[in-house]
Amino acid sequence: MGSSDEKVVAVIMVGGPTKGTRFRPLSLNVAKPLFPLAGQPMIHHPISACKRIPNLAQIYLVGFYEEREFALYVSSISTELRVPVRYLREDKPHGSAGGLYNFRDLIMEDNPSHIFLLNCDVCCSFPLPEMLEAHKSYGGMGTILVIKVSAESANQFGELVADPVTNELLHYTEKPETFVSDRINCGVYVFTPDIFDAIRGVSSQRKDRANLRRLSSFEALQSATRNPPSDFVRLDQDILTPFAGKKQLYTYETMDFWEQIKTPGMSLKCSALYLAQFRFTSPNLLASGDGTKSATIIGDVYIHPSAKVHPSAKIGPNVSISANARIGAGVRLISCIILDGVEIMENAVVFHAIVGWKSSIGKWSRVQAEGDYNAKLGITILGEAVAVEDEVVVTNSIVLPNKTLNVSVQDEILL
Amino acid sequence: MKALILVGGFGTRLRPLTLSVPKPLVEFANKPMILHQIEALKAVGVTEVVLAINYQPEVMLNFLKEFETKLGITITCSQETEPLGTAGPLALARDKLIDKSGEPFFVLNSDVISEYPFKEMIEFHKAYGGEASIMVTKVDEPSKYGVVVMEESTGQVDKFVEKPKLFVGNKINAGIYLLNPSVLDRIELRPTSIEKEVFPKIAAEKKLYAMVLPGFWMDIGQPRDYVTGLRLYLDSLRKKASTKLAAGSHIVGNVLVHETAKIGEGCLIGPDVAIGPGCVVESGVRLSRCTVMRGVRIKKHACISSSIVGWHSTIGQWARVENMTILGEDVHVCDEIYSNGGVVLPHKEIKSSILKPEIVM
Repeated sequence: MGSSDEKVVAVIMVGGPTKGTRFRPLSLNVAKPLFPLAGQPMIHHPISACKRIPNLAQIYLVGFYEEREFALYVSSISTELRVPVRYLREDKPHGSAGGLYNFRDLIMEDNPSHIFLLNCDVCCSFPLPEMLEAHKSYGGMGTILVIKVSAESANQFGELVADPVTNELLHYTEKPETFVSDRINCGVYVFTPDIFDAIRGVSSQRKDRANLRRLSSFEALQSATRNPPSDFVRLDQDILTPFAGKKQLYTYETMDFWEQIKTPGMSLKCSALYLAQFRFTSPNLLASGDGTKSATIIGDVYIHPSAKVHPSAKIGPNVSISANARIGAGVRLISCIILDGVEIMENAVVFHAIVGWKSSIGKWSRVQAEGDYNAKLGITILGEAVAVEDEVVVTNSIVLPNKTLNVSVQDEILL
Repeated sequence: MKALILVGGFGTRLRPLTLSVPKPLVEFANKPMILHQIEALKAVGVTEVVLAINYQPEVMLNFLKEFETKLGITITCSQETEPLGTAGPLALARDKLIDKSGEPFFVLNSDVISEYPFKEMIEFHKAYGGEASIMVTKVDEPSKYGVVVMEESTGQVDKFVEKPKLFVGNKINAGIYLLNPSVLDRIELRPTSIEKEVFPKIAAEKKLYAMVLPGFWMDIGQPRDYVTGLRLYLDSLRKKASTKLAAGSHIVGNVLVHETAKIGEGCLIGPDVAIGPGCVVESGVRLSRCTVMRGVRIKKHACISSSIVGWHSTIGQWARVENMTILGEDVHVCDEIYSNGGVVLPHKEIKSSILKPEIVM
């Protein structure tokens, strides 16, 4: 055990365009995994975490997007991190476990001893090396990253029960109606290659069951709508639930932050979490300044090197400014993401908002929201190329791309 | 003869439909909006149509190839790199619009639907001998638009007043012009407004004439007017070519049904309905004052009124969809759901009722 020949492969599920319409309007212009959090594409965070795994041989991104959406990113990140990253497109939905199984030959090419499976839209500290060590000590087929959440919110996720001594997964249930447990599935897993046998077992079981029945045409019509095809295998319902309590699956608990990035509002919250993490892991990425030679910086702020910020501006906390943005004199930015090419004119204020690519914010205008990350209109979102004219106030609103606002709006969605 | 159609920008007022397809290609009465205009232009002998666009040229160009051959008319694009307003695009397309013939050329606003009396307009322009002729139409609420103040007896235009607060006249600019090539000499290649900068100068020289548009007129650039416009269009179709409209015991009023659409038993369709190609309307369905785009399936017992259902969407059994509900492409309304003015973006499933008008992203 523990030889340097034990290679690890990581698989990151990235989803696809018609799934997850909750990320609109930002997803109208960019694939969600490429939306920047704390200055880096969403997918960059789990990928850099994977880099910390010893003997990482390969990272696969699996999803439904067109290959060309990821081509540029994948080639640049492979060069930057010096680990091969490849995007694999699923031809049809196979389920969260079926997708992994679909590409098993490629995944097993490097003969890995362990396979990590992560979801791209999870925001956490990704303690992957620690998880791998724990998994090796448990000796099971898989280990799931878990976190404790509030009892009220637990039913949005997969709830699980683990043995407090052995950490074995005893029980797992997806989005239960009644309370089962406040420990939930973080969507980060490590498996040994036996997982493929387990997935194959599920799909052949299903195939056998389908073959055994002699169906009347009426039953055939019913079952076609109720039973998914045999190669559609979901990780939660089809693997975790049945294998719980059989000494095959274990849990590793994280005490750090964890969020799911489903909506634009949450992306602002997660950007803040990652910026705070940079304070410890890579403080050189964060901006600093006191208003003399460069702008006043409060708290955690990321500013892309090509962005121009006037020294009289005050930026932060929780601000991320992307490439080629121009922030004018006397501008105040708090809790916001300013995307590429945005121009913010003198004395404007942006507070709890995401300002889309190439938008322009006029003088003395105010783009703001109450800051409730979970509310539908809790964070103001401006799509690509939105122009907010001088002195206009935009509050708690969502504005789709290519709109010009010449009057103030509040609590509205502007198509 | 040549013509320029001002297609312009992003069609944001007609979202969510224009999130899937550029506005000129959105079907109106089962035909792409711009095709209504191009066909009418061809009918009066226009041989070349220039589309002034600044958005999604690739999609437009594909469409054009198909229709150039079908119609036997040359269609080209003039692409703005920055928005040039309502007159700038003419300067940009100058070389395409002027030829040695010295004939006047048409300029149309792409959102306008009417009977396109182009032949009468050519005669009017010749008779009055102006440098530019414009169509005006009478409306009930002129302050919503740009009013053209004119001398009724001579047809001469006095001035333009944009959204007047007090009543100055009830004729508005219908967005259809017939211009002599000399008008192009008055337009610089920069963002320019034809109503604010170009026409007032021509009017001052007493060379601008206005013809009152016979028949209906509508700016269908937004959903409410699109639905009203369909009623006006079908009324006009009843008078001119009533064989195109559907007939039968299940049809009430003016209804257009594409030949490839299927309608089930016990339905009541109309008035003012357009059903697109490949649609399936199952039995017991009630449709009134609505447009159903290509490939939509409406399941049994559903009821739709005053709404637009986008391409390839489905409406569930017993669903009720009304009050300016606009469904984008590939929207699936589940059985028994009620939508009161829901505006739904493409690729969504509606599993719970929408009780008051709201946007579903």
